[in-house]
Amino acid sequence: MSLIPGLGIARGMAFTLRRFFAPKATIQYPETAPDIAVRFRGRLQLLYDELGNLKCETCFQCAAACPVECIDMGGFDTKGRFHVHWGAPETYAERREESALRRSGRPVPDAAFEHFEPIDERPLDRILAAHDYDPKAMLPMLEAVQREYGYIPVASLKRISQVSGAPYALIFGTATYYDHLRLTKPRRTVAVCRCTDCLLAGSQRLAERIGGTLGTGIGRAAGGEVALEQLPAHVPGAQSPLVTLDGKPQAGLTIEGAAAWAAGLAGGPAA
Amino acid sequence: MSFATRTWGRLSLQARLLAIFVPLAVVAAVVTVVVVLLAGPPFLDFLGANLPLVRFAVAVLAILLLTVPTAFVLIYMELKIIARMNLRIGPNRVGPWGAAQSVIHGFKVLAKEDFAPTGADGVVFTLAPVVTYMASVMTLLVIPFAPGLFGQDLNIGVLFFFAMGGLTVVGLLMGGWSSFNKYSLLGGLRSAAQMVSYEIPLTLSVVGVIMLAGSMSLVRIVAEQSGSALDWFVVKQPLAALIFFIAATAEANRTPFDMTEADSEIVAGFATEYSGMRFGFFFFAEYVNVFIVSALLVTLFFGGWTAPFGWPWAWNLNWFDPLRPGALGWAVVLANVLVWGTIVLLVPVRLFGGRTWGLGESALLGFLILGVLATAVIAGAAFVAFDWFAGLAWFMAKTYFFVFVFVWMRATLPRVRVDQLMGFAWKWLLPAALVNLFVTAAAVVLTNPGGIR
Repeated sequence: MSLIPGLGIARGMAFTLRRFFAPKATIQYPETAPDIAVRFRGRLQLLYDELGNLKCETCFQCAAACPVECIDMGGFDTKGRFHVHWGAPETYAERREESALRRSGRPVPDAAFEHFEPIDERPLDRILAAHDYDPKAMLPMLEAVQREYGYIPVASLKRISQVSGAPYALIFGTATYYDHLRLTKPRRTVAVCRCTDCLLAGSQRLAERIGGTLGTGIGRAAGGEVALEQLPAHVPGAQSPLVTLDGKPQAGLTIEGAAAWAAGLAGGPAA
Repeated sequence: MSFATRTWGRLSLQARLLAIFVPLAVVAAVVTVVVVLLAGPPFLDFLGANLPLVRFAVAVLAILLLTVPTAFVLIYMELKIIARMNLRIGPNRVGPWGAAQSVIHGFKVLAKEDFAPTGADGVVFTLAPVVTYMASVMTLLVIPFAPGLFGQDLNIGVLFFFAMGGLTVVGLLMGGWSSFNKYSLLGGLRSAAQMVSYEIPLTLSVVGVIMLAGSMSLVRIVAEQSGSALDWFVVKQPLAALIFFIAATAEANRTPFDMTEADSEIVAGFATEYSGMRFGFFFFAEYVNVFIVSALLVTLFFGGWTAPFGWPWAWNLNWFDPLRPGALGWAVVLANVLVWGTIVLLVPVRLFGGRTWGLGESALLGFLILGVLATAVIAGAAFVAFDWFAGLAWFMAKTYFFVFVFVWMRATLPRVRVDQLMGFAWKWLLPAALVNLFVTAAAVVLTNPGGIR
């Protein structure tokens, strides 16, 4: 805000008048072509942010859009959750390794890559058949896979892509979009019972405390290696509120002590 | 087969055309000469006896014919100037430097479908653009372009101008109402609200000028400002000139007050349902309005046709009468100038043309250069010799300067909000105009103790 009214207008007008006489930015395209080096191919480049982290989110959009399918990639997603791959299996080795080495036929050492675990595909094939191999039923299919395997293995995504014909990037996108789908195998599973008796005894607050500590919640897959679930039914004879760790009821857990208990879980050894 | 049909059968197409049109042209020329000789004098007498009527007809025709090229020039100016201020080049494909772009736009609009929505009030829908356009064009009737070059010197010229300018609102409302579209209606009402609001400070700001000039005749107002730039009313009435300029911007629907047709935000306001040449008339009216508002600003505050400084010398070219019998000698001189001028000017083209020009090419170029030079010389001579030419030149120069300012503002200023728009008119412009009016009135009374003219 200037004290003299109209000063801003005058300055703006002066600016546009200077622009009026300034050299013009237009390039008359068909007559004047931009000066491009002969060897220029518009190569892809991985960009790093100012902290040195890769800006690539492995979203596969470039790979899905590439008309000649020359892009392959692998890496961790932004949440650091799992290893993903795009491209034919023989190109899985990381591209940052010297390609000459790979072309020589020798095995390329690949520190970052862990091959995804093969799974028993018979339950998956039953699920696929039940959904008529229809990619439009992707979400119910993925939910069924999670119910069957406890999480959604990368191998199942590959298999679904292979038999349903849907691009891997789309299936991967669907699987990562929804909060309740989990793509890593939970190391431990905490289940909270929410029957009427347990709710009256405070199981809802208990679940919130535990979820807050673990950074997750019931019905959400986000968080660390501990999954938080709802117990399907109350274990007969167990006292309320009922919390189970990998199926074993935990006695004597109070609302006040829940957070500390959960914090101990997150760092503790596998059951 | 007769001789005539045989000969006709042997003729080529060009020869047939010639055989048809040359006799026709001869007959037409003879008939024209005979008619002019026989009916010419009585017709001229008739015209002379009805001079005011003839003057009116000629003025209206001239103004109607003037507005379309004016609108084309303004549209081209706007495209080009705003482009330059955006660091672009602007239209440069159609015609030299893209000069025919706006004309092509005009033809495009003509070629489009003339659509009227179902349920539209047909008569009003058709008349609305006409009313808007004619309201703009009619105001030009009282604008004095140069000494003796004006449609009519009305003694209530200013009043006529604002009355006709006010009709624009009627046209916009008609367009909004008859379109059978709630958005059009809202747009029309919004433009009406804006234009009615801004007409009040616009008119009030002129009252001071009228008091100083002692007349509402625009010719008289211009005559009162003759002398030098210090005699212009902008010196005595700077506040009024500023108010007039701002209110006129809103009146012409120009940025930053172009709420009626904010082209980047709403569809087209009152003109949403209009297409083809009907829309074109609204569009033309808008640009004619810019010209008119600039012309009136120049007339009222910037001395109209008068020069900003006294012109110290004047030539008298009255001794030159091309219709005198002795003018044959001048024709010979002119022919010699044409031939020798072309020959003289083709020499540097041949010598320094940069590439090898053929004789015919360089002769053509030399002739073109001669034409440009001759036009400049003739225009210069007319400028010093004829009052009306000099006046027209000054008037047009000033008017187009303000047209440039309007376009410049459009390239610079952002659009105001509708409540800011109304608030500015009623809370700032109107009180300022009233203050200006009272101060002027007091000054007029004080400086004329014996009584007011």
